[in-house]
Amino acid sequence: MGQPLVPELLRTHLAELAARDERADGRGQWDGRDLSVEVGVLERAEGSAKVQMGDTIVFTGIKFQIQTPYPDRPDEGGLMTSVELRPLAGRHIEPGPPSPESIEMARVVDRGIRESGCIDTKNLCIIAGEKVWQVIIDCFAISDDGNLFDAFALAAIAALHNATLPGERFDIGEDRPLPVNKTPIMCSFQKVGGRFIYDANREEELGGDERIHITLGGDDHVHSLQKGLKGAFTASEFAEIMDAAKQRCAELKKIVDSL
Amino acid sequence: MGYGDVQMIDEKGNRVDGRKAGDLRPIEIELGVVPVADGSASVRWGTNYVIASIYGPMEAHPRKIQRQERAVLDVRYNMAPFSTTDRFRPGFNRRSREISKVTAEALESVVLLELYPRSKIRIEIEVICAEAGTRCVGLTAASLALADAGIPMTDMVVSVASGKINDVVVCDLNKEEDNYGEADLPMGILPNSGELVFLQMDGDLSPEQFQEAWDYNMDAATKIHLMMKEAIANKYGGES
Repeated sequence: MGQPLVPELLRTHLAELAARDERADGRGQWDGRDLSVEVGVLERAEGSAKVQMGDTIVFTGIKFQIQTPYPDRPDEGGLMTSVELRPLAGRHIEPGPPSPESIEMARVVDRGIRESGCIDTKNLCIIAGEKVWQVIIDCFAISDDGNLFDAFALAAIAALHNATLPGERFDIGEDRPLPVNKTPIMCSFQKVGGRFIYDANREEELGGDERIHITLGGDDHVHSLQKGLKGAFTASEFAEIMDAAKQRCAELKKIVDSL
Repeated sequence: MGYGDVQMIDEKGNRVDGRKAGDLRPIEIELGVVPVADGSASVRWGTNYVIASIYGPMEAHPRKIQRQERAVLDVRYNMAPFSTTDRFRPGFNRRSREISKVTAEALESVVLLELYPRSKIRIEIEVICAEAGTRCVGLTAASLALADAGIPMTDMVVSVASGKINDVVVCDLNKEEDNYGEADLPMGILPNSGELVFLQMDGDLSPEQFQEAWDYNMDAATKIHLMMKEAIANKYGGES
């Protein structure tokens, strides 16, 4: 992505709204956009989900490959997360090799899932030292109107819960559901007009400053954090968004667990 | 197993998915599926699922691609990593480059490029789920997305392929038929003039079989064009 020109007008406008405790699209500080989550939407993927948050739309597909385990972990399978920001999804996205932005997204989504322990990699062992499953989470943007991080993370965990290990296709026993025993959820906040807000849209991203991504698992355990972009924040600001994250993560977890 | 070894059509002329020789797979068209784009369309065609989006006309850069007298079309056809049974590895791909090139040339034959000198129109085609005939679905989706973006064209482009299985010519090959088929003839047809802007072929067809495949494509284009007009009328009003 090229560095967009941020007109001072937009920043001033967002700051004026923030001073009145308002947002351009009428939401409150901690409100998300209209959300829909569907699973099993991609016929060629072993697990899949489509997430729509306002005008942001993403697909995540789960594919499996067989690989040789790492010598130091002979009985553990692998997990890989990739994010593709194709120019389909916005005029600001340029074609070419993965941008630093898309690599950051993939790594932050990956950490939340990996560190939550929702996938026990020992469950992915086929023959110790020889053959293990590799789980590949492919995140793909259709329409970027901001906060792809949360959309990808939500689609990823929903798709994992929906995934089937394709034993038959690889001639190693029957198909079985991928064991996923937790539901880590990411919530992202961005400082816009001097205060943090939840679920920034593209306009707020353009006119905003630093962002913070929090992934929580069960019992509000923290599994990944990431601060991105230029800007500094205080401990009390962080405590405030952590409270908002706890509430929102619990709501989103209910949605994913009920699919 | 080689070509022709698998029985794909029975003595009554029924194909593996129950279609007759001239039948198309089910097709569903939706416009405006990428809200942030200037125009977009999705086409579900059998289990194919392709999304196309349009950005522009916009300033053409880098400058060296600019044309003083007309717009250029910047077309990208790409397959999503989860679009195929074995994961499709992202990155440079000769097949995708070729399909992008011939798709651009097909669309340049209908878009009124002279209206937008020195500009470019980005056409992004993403295969979300692949079955067989994705280049045809992609070209058809791109032409719908251009219409959704309000870009003036002399005609729509309808793209469809016919081929041969067990020495029988059939319309619109599905995945199994494509894997074991003996020929494939994809065409891009202008439904109003009957002209062609896209043509490829591989395999083996006798002169009679070639004519039969050609005729199937022409008939199919008429049917698909009706669905395209209906989808546009549903969103924008008017008669389909």
